[in-house]
Parts: sequence; C-alpha cells; structure tokens
Amino acid sequence: MSGSAHEAAFQPLPYRLRWRPQGILPGAHPGHGEGTEGEFRRHVPLLRHPDPRRLDLRASLRDPYGELHVRQFAPRRAVPVAALVDLSGSMRFGDTVAGGVADLCALLALSAARSGDSFVLFGCDGQVREAASLPFARRRGIEVEVRQRLVGARPSGMTATGLIEAAGRLPPRRAFVFLVSDFLMPMPEIERLLDALWRHDVVPVLVGAGALEDALPRWGLVELADLETGAPRLVVMRPTLRERWRRQARERWQALQRLFAERGLRSFELRGALDTDALARRLMEG
Amino acid sequence: MWRRMTADWGFDHPLLLALLLLAILPFIASAFVRRGIPTLGLAPADGVSRAVSLGLRLAGALAILAIVLGLAGLHRREQVIARQGTGAHLVLLLDRSSSMDNSFADRAPSGDQEAKSVVAKRLLDDFVARRARDRIGVAAFSTSPMPVLPLTDHHEVVRAAIAAIDRPGLAFTDVGRGLALALSSFAEDTDEASRAILLVSDGAALIDRRVQETLRDAVARTPVHLYWLFLRSRGAKGIFEAPPPGENTPQANPERHLHLFFQSLGVPYRAFEATSPQAVEQAIAEIDRQETRPITYVERVPRRDLARLAFAVAAAALALLLLAKLAERSLVRPASATAAAGREPVLRRAA
Repeated sequence: MSGSAHEAAFQPLPYRLRWRPQGILPGAHPGHGEGTEGEFRRHVPLLRHPDPRRLDLRASLRDPYGELHVRQFAPRRAVPVAALVDLSGSMRFGDTVAGGVADLCALLALSAARSGDSFVLFGCDGQVREAASLPFARRRGIEVEVRQRLVGARPSGMTATGLIEAAGRLPPRRAFVFLVSDFLMPMPEIERLLDALWRHDVVPVLVGAGALEDALPRWGLVELADLETGAPRLVVMRPTLRERWRRQARERWQALQRLFAERGLRSFELRGALDTDALARRLMEG
Repeated sequence: MWRRMTADWGFDHPLLLALLLLAILPFIASAFVRRGIPTLGLAPADGVSRAVSLGLRLAGALAILAIVLGLAGLHRREQVIARQGTGAHLVLLLDRSSSMDNSFADRAPSGDQEAKSVVAKRLLDDFVARRARDRIGVAAFSTSPMPVLPLTDHHEVVRAAIAAIDRPGLAFTDVGRGLALALSSFAEDTDEASRAILLVSDGAALIDRRVQETLRDAVARTPVHLYWLFLRSRGAKGIFEAPPPGENTPQANPERHLHLFFQSLGVPYRAFEATSPQAVEQAIAEIDRQETRPITYVERVPRRDLARLAFAVAAAALALLLLAKLAERSLVRPASATAAAGREPVLRRAA
C-alpha cells in the first residue's frame, strides 16, 4: 500500500509546550529552574547568581551603578510524551486504528525521539493491553515499533476503562498526553478519565467524529450491529431519520467540546487519514 | 377444544410438524448483512424501524410456519354441517296402478301424447331438482303400499326413484294404506320442519272405514300438509263439483269422497285437479311456493386441502422478505478509504 510511502514522508514535528516541564532529564523544552544555557531568561546581579562565567560584560558596562550582571537561562528539559489509545470495540469502525491512529502515534513517537523526549504508548480496552503498549523509551526507531503494535492490535472489548488505569501509570510529573479515542463512552466516564489526567497536558484526539453520519444512506434498510456488544438493530433509513441522526451527533459533539473547554483542553480531530499539516499547526499553537 | 381441532383439521404427514420449531429462526438470525457501528447509542430511537424489524421477523416466522404446514399437508377434514334453510320434509306418494300408464285421454299413449306416469315423472323430477334443501321420501301404492325410500337428503336417489315410476304399473289403487305408509315415514322424523305428503294419483278407491280411523289417528299424531295432485283423465268425474244427488255415493264417485275425507282430516290440505301436463306443472309450482318453512338440513363439506393456501401465504411472506432484502443498503465507504483515494494523485504529482 501507500503506507511505506507516506511513512517515509513523515517529518518529525516540533511541538511547543505552554508550560515548563519539571525534572532533571535534559531535553529540548525550556524548563523550570535556572540553567546555565538554553533559552535566555533575564539578567540578575552577580551577587544573586554567583556564576562569573555567565557574566554579561555589555550589560554590566551599560549599568550606571556599575553593578555586574549575570545572564540567566532556562534549562532544557525533556518532557514525557504519552499516547493513550482507546482500543475498545467501537474503534474498529472504519479501520482507523491501523490507519490514522497508527500514523499519528508513529509520528508523535518520531517527533518525541528527535527532540529527546521519552515516548510511551498505552493501548487500552477494559484494561491496559500490554501487547499494544510500549514502555517509556527515547531510542531511535521507536516509531516503527509503535506502528507495528497498533497495526497488529485488533480493537475489542466493551469499555475503555483501561484508559483510567493507564492514566495512573503515567509519571507523577506533568506529561504531554495524547488521548486518542472516539469518545463514545458515557459522558460521566469521559469526565472521570479527564479528571484522572488532571496533572497532564492533554490533547484529546477525537477519532472518526461524523464518519458514521456521513456513511448513512438516504433510503433503505440497514442492519446495524454494535461493534462492542454485537447487538443488532434494523434501521429504516430515510432523510428525516438521517437528519435527526446527524443533529443528535452534532449535539453530542458540541457537548464533548464544552466538556473539553471546561478543562481548558482543545481537541484535535482525526478523521480518516492523518493530516500532518493540521497536526503541526495544532502542536505549534501549543 | 383440542378434540374439536383434531376432529376438524388434519395433516397428511404429522411428523413434519416437528419442523415448526424452525419458526424461531428469524428471531435468532437475520437475512441482512450486519454493518458494524461504534455504538448503538448513536442511533436515534425510531418507532418505524422497530415496527419494520418486528414485522420482518414475524414474516420470516410466518413463511417457515406456512411452508411446514404446507409440507405436512394441512387439510380440513370432511365435515357434516347442520344448516338452516327453507324447505320441507316431503313424502311423494305415487300411484302405481296400471291406469297411470295411460294418457290423459285415458288410452294407451301414442304419437306425441304422454302417459300420465311419464308426465308425473318429468314434473316431479323438475320439482325435486328445484327443492334442493328438502328431505324427500318416496312411497308408492297399488294394490298394496310399497315403501321405496325413507326420508333422505340424497336427491340423486330420489330422482332415480322418480325415474322408475313410468315402469308399467300394477293392478289397483289402494290410497288408504298408501297414505298410512306415507304417514309412517314421518314417525322417526323429529325435526321442526314442515311435513308434507304429495299424493300423485289418477283415481281413487274406497277407503275402508277401519283404515279411515287409522288414518285419522295417524294424522292426529303427525300433523302433515297434504297435497293431492289428481291427474284427471278425460271423462273422469271431477273432485270439486258436487255430483247430482242420486250419484253421490262413495262407490259411484270415490275421488270426490276421498277429497271430502281429506278435508275432514283437519290438516292443511289442497287438491289440484290436473287435466293436462300444463295444469300439473301449475299445481307443482303452487306446492313449491307453499312449502317454504325454515328447515334444518345437513350439508356435507368435502375435505379441503389447505396446502396450496399455506404455500401462497408463504410466498407472500417471502416476497415481503425479498423486497426488504432488495431494499437493503450498506453504509457508504468510510471516509478513510475515500481520503486515501484522494491522496494518491498528490503523490503522483510529487513523483
């Protein structure tokens, strides 16, 4: 398929955090505390920061009081990047996991590895699925492993409560978390999941929103089956029902956006194939 | 209830009925291809869909039921039904004396003349054919009475009996004992229907006084309507006109006195004096008109095979299912596939 072609086309994306990561691991993001190199932050008197190696002669000479100034930098720190992938049965719709979701996670792993951040993958249905997960790593080539794990994973299971378990397994310092799901679980469960991720910077990746509504025919009989429970239902499609269906989906989408907005989150829509430009834009916006 | 059902309905191959269990199949499996959707919570509740779904399942079950019933050979057994109609219980009392073989001109029939018995046979045959609901018995008399048929519904037999009355007749006329025989045919008849005796004769004879008493008794026990079709030959004396005083004796004028005797019985009685075939016809039409009381008669309904009907029902149900199957649509190709298809031209341009 064209998979290898656009795999090769993937370029690592830079991402910007709107917060300063904690920790001691050196990386690419301006972090907390005071460092000796990296992003310039301010001048401080030598007495406050007694490091004559960073003495800024030009700033010191410019000072009418003759005080000596030392340059202070923000340290570069690495940030943990996590992808929490919902692998419940509903994600089987439209084969998004092997397609768009695998692309997205591989690209994130590649980007994280290139900027020296560690990447972790959790594939979850009822619990965390170890076969579809990867522990924290920052080695090269991790994106290939991530893709393999996701392409090989067959979404099944009735719930996505494993996502909450995965949230508990994230590091206790703030991490950059991509929550990949179709968010079709009940609203209270989504709230519980987002509450479990309160510490982290979460980007909800909304998979396949509206794909089903676009796929509905205008007229005819369709026997639908729940991908999670397998329960069948015969539906007599007609324009009014399709309209009602779409309205209901729109309302749900809006409720979901409200829920994200209440927690200061902005979702990223993943519909079908991955749009790398849109992802890059979204990541640069922070 | 069950006994009644099994008495009325039957199967040629009852063992096949075990296949009726298959009728639950439509409630387990479905003829449609299932299209997975993330969750049914997305589908809005829709009454029409639910009704159609249930209807199609029922149609499937009905089709299987009907096919199995058809294969098992469902039929309704032959039945005997008591029905209400208009008609009467009628005994035809036929004169078989040799004078019946003569024509109305009282001589041996020749040319286009018909014998009285032939006329009577033809007209009675028509009469019986017209009165399909009657129970009819036949008796004949001559020198002695002859029971021919008890009261019966089988009109073919009756008509056969009537067809036999133009056989050459016997000697004399003994109306009294003939009447007694006809009355005795009603002895076992307990229906509410109106009873009538149609006496067809061309003459009469004296009735013995003792026989007269017996007849009065019998008539009192079983009230009947009495019709006398008097096939009067030319020259014979009429029954209605009073003869001159000197000749008014039973010996000289037996028909007249029989008429008077019948009138004295105290039951509805009519006499028709038929002098020609047309008059006979009118007389019979008159009887036909009179005897139209309600009657309970028995009808035989032959066995009826319902397999054809069952297969028709199955075909209808299957046609419905076929329509539904033809109306089936799949979900449109998911967006990822179309997007992938849309990307390829870009790659080609890049290459």
